[in-house]
Amino acid sequence: MSPYDLLPRFKAQYDANNQEFSISGVVRPQAIDELGPSIALLRGAIDRVRGVLYVNVRRLTQMNNAAFHAFSRIIIDACRARPDLKFVVITSSVVGWTSRKFGRLSGIEPNITIEEYDSEFYPGQGFLEEGGFVPILRSQTKMTWRHERAILPRHGMRQGIVMADICCGIGDFAVLVQKEFQPARIVALDHSKSSLDYARQVMREFDIRGIEYTYGDASEMLLDEAQFDLVTCRHSLQIFNRPELILKELYRVCKPGGRVYITNEKNSHCLGEPRAESIRWTYNEVAKLFGHFEMDVELGPKSRRYLMEAGFEDIRVETFMVTNLDGDPQDFADIIAAWADVYAGEMATRRGDGPEFVARFRQGFQDHIFAALHPKGYAGWPIWVASGRRPQ
Amino acid sequence: MEPVHHELAGEPTFAPMIQIEMEIKTFVSAWRHCDYVSTYMARMISQNRSDSVRHSNLFSSAFNELLEVAFRSRHGDGELACRVSRHGATDRIELTFPCVPEERQFYEEAMSQATGTEARERYLNSVSGDLAPSREIVLLELAVDYNAILRVEEADGNAIRLVVDLPLEGLRH
Repeated sequence: MSPYDLLPRFKAQYDANNQEFSISGVVRPQAIDELGPSIALLRGAIDRVRGVLYVNVRRLTQMNNAAFHAFSRIIIDACRARPDLKFVVITSSVVGWTSRKFGRLSGIEPNITIEEYDSEFYPGQGFLEEGGFVPILRSQTKMTWRHERAILPRHGMRQGIVMADICCGIGDFAVLVQKEFQPARIVALDHSKSSLDYARQVMREFDIRGIEYTYGDASEMLLDEAQFDLVTCRHSLQIFNRPELILKELYRVCKPGGRVYITNEKNSHCLGEPRAESIRWTYNEVAKLFGHFEMDVELGPKSRRYLMEAGFEDIRVETFMVTNLDGDPQDFADIIAAWADVYAGEMATRRGDGPEFVARFRQGFQDHIFAALHPKGYAGWPIWVASGRRPQ
Repeated sequence: MEPVHHELAGEPTFAPMIQIEMEIKTFVSAWRHCDYVSTYMARMISQNRSDSVRHSNLFSSAFNELLEVAFRSRHGDGELACRVSRHGATDRIELTFPCVPEERQFYEEAMSQATGTEARERYLNSVSGDLAPSREIVLLELAVDYNAILRVEEADGNAIRLVVDLPLEGLRH
């Protein structure tokens, strides 16, 4: 028997609280008998539920026709036997075939509907993904790169490695890494199709090779396990409502002995002189505002705990401060202005903040810009870098 | 590897990418070979697609069905050959395997149904029907869900060659 035979290929579960049957992994049986326990579980779920049964196939990587037919048959039969029961099949836009294949079922039985899980991956992130934000993202990466290019080798970056950049956004970090460190291969994943389109356009225009951009959900990736020497995930755990799910996936795709590298902020520690008090007040409020939308932009110093709890060892943590002295102070000021537009604009409006609050909130950003551009001023944006090794 | 030649006038040239050969007896000795071969070849040929991970997943899904069909055929002695070649957004699978005469007739009929206008309806009827999916239905599904174009070609000896063109790069979900 090979090690392959010992690996669990798929898993079926039933969550009674949510009335959700889920099946994940690779389901390619030769005979339907091999699905016996899973089919019994689905039948049992159908017998117990009222109203709606959710069938979650978001993490179903593969399913052959024999298995698809077996499960479909049970669902279709249940629709005919119990017209009161509705089925909602939750597919993933990442797994290309699932929506097409399961989508056929709704054409057969009207009580079966298909919901494709897609834009709701990251609640609140829509604020940060509008097209106008791209130049700001580029400026941010340019400013952090001055520091990270020196820091990365201490966290496992070296020539010839196989790496993944998860939540790669517009792909500019992957491009900088490719030029500076020449890894053998970079897989760069993001859930934003428009960001990936931009990244691919840049790759074509500048004839960049060695980066594979792929569409996916960081908390449920199609990538095989244990294949990367280094997995980077920058500024993303902090804007995900359940960062531990992403870390679990980063751990899974990292090779034993490889490292996972994360960067995050602690927004309340943004600082500036002069006008320090106003700046401090505003960034404290930024943290609360993100908290309202289930994002933790105070996560930076918590990185060590998160990595430990995810099972990593040899955890290394360091910080750096992006400042107005990193190149052109106007770049720093432009970033703050963009933050002000989004945070004191759409986000504050969405939370229902009044004009008085918004005016004071916005003033702090103005004062931060003032500090950045002042000939004797100093303005800072602190970043926490952390990495951990997956045990051998 | 030999280049792929096609005699049809106006047929685009498909550039060879990868080929795997094995004794058919070895192939049918374990069901998991379908999964092994489809997964391995999908990874190899998807590296330079615009989204390699998504393409690999789709290709493996379609190719595995084809391999499972071949696995369930009645065979004589001989070799199984899987060849993948490419023309633009289309990947071509050529699956050659030994096959008894009755099976050849089955494949010719199945392939002609898969290319017919009623393919989609036939497929839906099969999903809502009581019977387990036949090999014919599996081929239909390739046409319906993956926009595959299928045909049968003559092969040397007692072998048959299934040719499946998969335009996965342009497939929207």
